[in-house]
Amino acid sequence: MDTTRRGFLGAIGQVTIGAAASVAGAGQSASAEGTDVPHWGMVVDLRKCIGCQACTVACIMENAVPEDAFRTHVSVYELVKEGQDPAMVMLPRLCNHCDDPPCLPVCPVEATFKAENGEVLVDASKCVGCAYCVQACPYDARFINHETQVADKCTFCFHRTQAGLLPACVETCVGGARNFGDLNDPESEVSKMLRDNEVSVLRPEMHTNPNVYYIGLDDVLDGRVAGEAAYHPEMADAVQHHGEGL
Amino acid sequence: METQVHELVGAVHDAAWQPWAVQYFFLVAISVTSLLMALPAFVFGKSADLRAARLALMVAVTTGITAPIALLADLHQPFRFWEFFVYTHKSSWMAWGAWIVPSYVALMLLFAWAIHRPEFDRMGQDDWRFAWLFRLFSLGGASNGFARPLGMLAGLAALGILVYTGSEVMVVRARPLWNTPFLPLQFAATGVVGALGVMLILERMLCRDGALEATLNRRLALALALVAALGGAWFAVAISGVSPVHSEALASVAGFPVWQQIALWGAASVAIPFVLALTLPRNTGLITGLIAIHAAWMFRWTVFMGGQAVPKVGSGLYDALMPTGVAGLMGVIGTFGLWVFLMIVYTTFVPWSGDAADATPSARTSDQAPRKSASPQEI
Repeated sequence: MDTTRRGFLGAIGQVTIGAAASVAGAGQSASAEGTDVPHWGMVVDLRKCIGCQACTVACIMENAVPEDAFRTHVSVYELVKEGQDPAMVMLPRLCNHCDDPPCLPVCPVEATFKAENGEVLVDASKCVGCAYCVQACPYDARFINHETQVADKCTFCFHRTQAGLLPACVETCVGGARNFGDLNDPESEVSKMLRDNEVSVLRPEMHTNPNVYYIGLDDVLDGRVAGEAAYHPEMADAVQHHGEGL
Repeated sequence: METQVHELVGAVHDAAWQPWAVQYFFLVAISVTSLLMALPAFVFGKSADLRAARLALMVAVTTGITAPIALLADLHQPFRFWEFFVYTHKSSWMAWGAWIVPSYVALMLLFAWAIHRPEFDRMGQDDWRFAWLFRLFSLGGASNGFARPLGMLAGLAALGILVYTGSEVMVVRARPLWNTPFLPLQFAATGVVGALGVMLILERMLCRDGALEATLNRRLALALALVAALGGAWFAVAISGVSPVHSEALASVAGFPVWQQIALWGAASVAIPFVLALTLPRNTGLITGLIAIHAAWMFRWTVFMGGQAVPKVGSGLYDALMPTGVAGLMGVIGTFGLWVFLMIVYTTFVPWSGDAADATPSARTSDQAPRKSASPQEI
């Protein structure tokens, strides 16, 4: 199936933004026909992201994400490089659906699992809410859903891809920055983008083999971002600039 | 080329392990280190140490019961705890912990019961109002020869707790402050400090024996020296770059004034009781004990709550002081309240201050009733 946004435009009329699944990927694993099992991945072209947060809102609406959490959001930074004008830089963040996910081996009850198409999912009926996976995720992509009291995260909209639809964030992306598809298919749009562009991943030093790639990612943003924070808790009020160093 | 970064829009993440987790790690470390300190006297017959061992066993039992309750409270789905035993995931230290914790608690309680069985039996034979209760406690006999193997097994389980709690946190690569090989050793050493702190407080409140206080204070000084040595080594390998994970851990917090204040506070919490315990081992037990408890608790609070306040990808810090507000504070107070309640129960119903010779399993290997060492009214 064609899993690029453009290919899906024709099917938009069929899209149902229905009641969202309240569990994080509970259900059966992906079924693949034949031997060509898709391996889902996302390529985010940061040159096209305008930071509109439409993806953030679409995800919340699609997946009934509670008020105090995000399965995906767009971090916005102002970068000031020596001798250059300040630049606004967007960085959509989500679960990286790693091929070596650190959240998986720590789960004490095997509630977190890797689905057939590469999605890292949580069986919400099994999760005990110990939050060990939340600690282990190097991308801060997991959280405890305070309505369901279990671990929650992006599922690559498993329920939608199973129905032949794109993830809600990809579907709604205004600038076409988010691209989703089969990394196993050399003819898919995402595979072509990976071939034709220089891409980066977040936190490469963690060796998690993520399946979310970025085009145009500045090196200063690929790990823990050392800079002035948007949020100033009471205890850290004295900090004007965090150099992250000795 | 230097780049200045200003985060304009970012997400703040709540602490997923809440104050109950801190309480668990604090109490369980105190329990297992207390138990290990009780074993030389009760299992290996080092009778000169019996008075300290009795205090240690009291601490082990009361904190050992409180700790798993605090752990359960931190679980977001506490009624699914049984899944730990049905779906054990062997690659998870937490899954192993789910088996080790109940094993430890059961063995530790059985050991404590075995140690006190002769006294239970004796009190059950006296003519007084609650004799029937103690006959029930003794299960109709005074024999406790099995206390020694039980103690050894409980000691092994205690070591298992130290290994699993340290490893469980240490393996989390996503949190640099946790991902340091020194951490399990620091948990164990600060656990000893906390245990000796509680024993000193109890000694002052229940025994008031200057010699015992001095002994405990000297041990506390030794434990604090070990904590300081581990802290110094941690800092040395971090700042020298010998160990990249330690350097990363230090770098993740070094730029923040609040963390510099925490480091100074922590150093003072170790140095002050160390000097007091070493120079004035008598009549300082209350203050050294309280500061020692504070040091052990603060270490865990800093590691867990402070560690979770360090963003993995974002900038700055999240709420580090009391991220869960009044509910979190109530969790801390509640678990301490439970421990105080158990202390009252223990000192009321367990003949913890019985004659030294009577407590050793070697003294009671038959069902013969022991000689009278304390009247029930003295309990």
